[in-house]
Amino acid sequence: MGYGPGSALRPFPAPHLHEGPTTAGMMFSVVLCLLPAGIWGVLLFGQRALHVLLVSVGASLLTELAVSGLFLRRFTLADGSALLTGLLLGYSLPPAVPLFIPAAASFFAIAVIKQSFGGLGRNWLNPALGARVFVMFSWTGPMTRWQAPLAAADVLSGATPLGLAKEALSHPVPGLRGPIELLLAGLRPSGLRAGPLSDLLQRLGRLAPAGYGQMALGNVAGCIGEGSALLLALGSIYLFVKKIIAWEIPAAYLGSFGLLAWAFGGLPFGAGLFRGDAAFHLLAGGLALGALYMAADPVTSPLKRPGRLIFGLGCGALTFLLRTWGSQPEGVALAVVLMNMFVPLLNRIGGRPISREAEQ
Amino acid sequence: MRQARTFPRGGIVPPDRTALSAGIPIRNACVPAEVVIPVGRQPGQCLVRPGDTVSEGMAVGRAGGPDSISVHASIPGRVREVGERILADGSRSLAVVIDLQGEFTVSARARPPVEWETLSVPELRERIREHGVADLSAAQAGAGCLVVNGVEREPYISAGQRLMIEHAPELITGLQILRRILEPAEVVFGVEEGRCEALESLGRAAEAAALDCRIEPLQPRYPQGAERPLLEALLGRSRLRSKTAGTAVTDLASLYSIYEAVVLDKPLLERIVTVTGLAVRRPANLKVRLGTRVGNLFEECGGFSEPPARLLAGGPMMGSCQSGLEAPVTRELEGLVALSRSEIGRAAETPCIGCGRCASACPWGLMPGEIYKALEHRLFAEAEAAGLTECTECGCCAYVCPARIPLVAGMRQGKSRAPEG
Amino acid sequence: MKERAFIGGLARQNPLLVYLLGLCPALAVSDLVSKALGLGAGVILVLLAAVAAARLLRPVIPERLQPIAWLVLVAALVSLVDLAMQAYLPALRQQLGVYLQLLAVNCLILGLVERLARSRSLSRCLRLAAGQGAGFTLALLLIALVREVLGSGTITLFPLGSFGGVIRVPGLSLYPVRVLSLAAGALLLLGYLAALAGRLMARGRKAEQRSAG
Repeated sequence: MGYGPGSALRPFPAPHLHEGPTTAGMMFSVVLCLLPAGIWGVLLFGQRALHVLLVSVGASLLTELAVSGLFLRRFTLADGSALLTGLLLGYSLPPAVPLFIPAAASFFAIAVIKQSFGGLGRNWLNPALGARVFVMFSWTGPMTRWQAPLAAADVLSGATPLGLAKEALSHPVPGLRGPIELLLAGLRPSGLRAGPLSDLLQRLGRLAPAGYGQMALGNVAGCIGEGSALLLALGSIYLFVKKIIAWEIPAAYLGSFGLLAWAFGGLPFGAGLFRGDAAFHLLAGGLALGALYMAADPVTSPLKRPGRLIFGLGCGALTFLLRTWGSQPEGVALAVVLMNMFVPLLNRIGGRPISREAEQ
Repeated sequence: MRQARTFPRGGIVPPDRTALSAGIPIRNACVPAEVVIPVGRQPGQCLVRPGDTVSEGMAVGRAGGPDSISVHASIPGRVREVGERILADGSRSLAVVIDLQGEFTVSARARPPVEWETLSVPELRERIREHGVADLSAAQAGAGCLVVNGVEREPYISAGQRLMIEHAPELITGLQILRRILEPAEVVFGVEEGRCEALESLGRAAEAAALDCRIEPLQPRYPQGAERPLLEALLGRSRLRSKTAGTAVTDLASLYSIYEAVVLDKPLLERIVTVTGLAVRRPANLKVRLGTRVGNLFEECGGFSEPPARLLAGGPMMGSCQSGLEAPVTRELEGLVALSRSEIGRAAETPCIGCGRCASACPWGLMPGEIYKALEHRLFAEAEAAGLTECTECGCCAYVCPARIPLVAGMRQGKSRAPEG
Repeated sequence: MKERAFIGGLARQNPLLVYLLGLCPALAVSDLVSKALGLGAGVILVLLAAVAAARLLRPVIPERLQPIAWLVLVAALVSLVDLAMQAYLPALRQQLGVYLQLLAVNCLILGLVERLARSRSLSRCLRLAAGQGAGFTLALLLIALVREVLGSGTITLFPLGSFGGVIRVPGLSLYPVRVLSLAAGALLLLGYLAALAGRLMARGRKAEQRSAG
């Protein structure tokens, strides 16, 4: 009959059906969705950016291999989380950094933030963001040397939109209503390499109101993967559809931040309440990357909906506060890191078993 | 058209594989040469000794206490031994093993249907009890609502569906009998909305019998066949909270058994079992004598088209994995599923990443990930606070877990290891 | 099992890495090697003197007043050391700042004084105190070495003759890991060293059990 007594089956536990992506599947999906933004960044910033990305990913994989092999006696590269961390880390670095920085950052992210606490699923701090903060405070100089996009290889100039905004806050320019005007004024870096790409950018940029288009496309100085909010958002649609990212965190984050930026963003420029440049702030800097890909990292974010919403709100509020009154132009990394600390507390909020509800 | 109802929280929608067997009409399985009938171990629970001759339908023991309902010999014959056997769920039980011998005194004779309307309620209760169907002597009349579970308890199973299509009048009769006994204020039938043939057949039978019942189509979701989600779907959560007692739930197999017991005066000897799965050559819905060896059923369905990756008694979500084919069919066994490699999709276990899908999928609002973590560290108090005791092991959490963590196995172990009190 | 008085303080009962006592000065003064050495020396001196004095004074002071008495004793000794340093090592005293005076309320010193005053033999007291002090200094030195080398790219020692006192590490002094020279880095390092110490101890204990059993 084909099923004799010799071929005994092991008693596998129920259930015997499964659905949905595996952990590795989720990680690789996120990596895929991130790739367009990265490719775009390399196109804009040149070969240097590619080197930075390669080093950060390579160092991340190497560290994971070494640490998990030596200490855990297990090889965990296949779960894709080291690859994702390395990629995200590379995206949040400026294109012109000396290469030891992505290496050190990757090492810190994997060995200290992730593996020292027990490996995948046990860290309380987002590895990419924590490493970015580490690198930001360790080598502040190289981390703030920006490069204008499509510039000739050895021309390092230009400030990021947020940097300009921060400067304007400390040295007020009379008659300035909002940070976007600064950007427009400064949007003509020297040494621009003409070519089909810059033509395409100019044409696309004209589709949106002046300045915002450039910011959405990423045609401004900034970190490698952070610039193009458009490409990041497009990539994230797939992740939302497949429920790999919970929608609550990005929605609460961007919503609260946008609201605060609109309500209070105009105050430092003397424009009054409810006249803030929300679009500028939403498109500037690492907000898109941070809100869509880093804050929503399942390991370091709350488990249930009420906790997630509060987490997003907190991130948004903190980002706004740090950007406006902090010493650094960018506040996303620190804001999310701070909120990561509250996650165990937020996990206690919301959702009780049905029978407990009935008892009340 | 109003959207079909369903239970409010959690749950999953597994792919509908009932098509494998839903079109196959019920047919009688071959009578086995031997049956194994589990009985209780307590003295007085086994009524026969090795060597006794039993007739078809004779009571051979009790499964529970001295006043519990009896179990009957499903074939006529001689008791070969009374010994320990391993059942489908892995437990060991004392069992009566009967070799086929003699004539079929119950099945062979065509009996005239009993006029059950003329019987009194205590008589009805007694018939149902003595034929081994259910003990309704404690059931109070005047229940608020009588709910019939027309939803299969597990994916892949189509026994209930076929019952509704082929034997709707009998089901309605059984329902009427039950209604007479319990006198509920309301009768509700819950059926999945996609089962058009079944719904139609049921509707026609209910109309023909002039039975005042509400047939409610439900969205196809798992575990809607479980009692609590079913009640939530049909009656709504607020109504459930206000009347915790006063709702009686029954299922299709029970209704059919009630019909057979009262109208045909037949004890509980058989049940419908769905034999299905991609690894079965010819899936079928068989009417099986209780105590038949599981392997016989697979043979009748043409054997295995490929070596099965899983052999399950029950369904694919909560069924127990069989390591052999010797287990007997008992009254609770609804299905036998032989899954092929492609259906189970094996993947290695990875650490929990805290994605929270398990919590969203749990129909009871528990947090399986937290319970599992607490159990790993032997924090039983925390596990219970997170809801360990309320877990029904439905399997929704493990179904969606991306890390393929064996959550249900962990819960089961935790429940057995948790210190009392 | 008689605990080894002096060696114990260095390894098994290391106050900083095992008992995590004296964290405040440890985080603050471990960014320069010279500071670590200086404070360590101060701790050893104060410990030895305080333990000896407390041991001798114990029969004389009523029990209820003893904690206050030790407080006063330690404060006096710390002031002595402070003044001496101001006189002979002013630069170091400047660098140590308030952390030298804070030794007066250091939990390590006060705790030890309290405990050892009840011991029986003076020599054992002194050995224990010396061991704890040396252990503290050793741990502090370890942290300071890593912190200063990686965090500023230098090793700062005491100027001696033509030697300026600062050794520069090539490469690192150009791009040091600044986070390590901040308090966050100190905590990180302390954590890792404590974990390492714990691991070595566990391994040692296992080896002992194996050889004993």
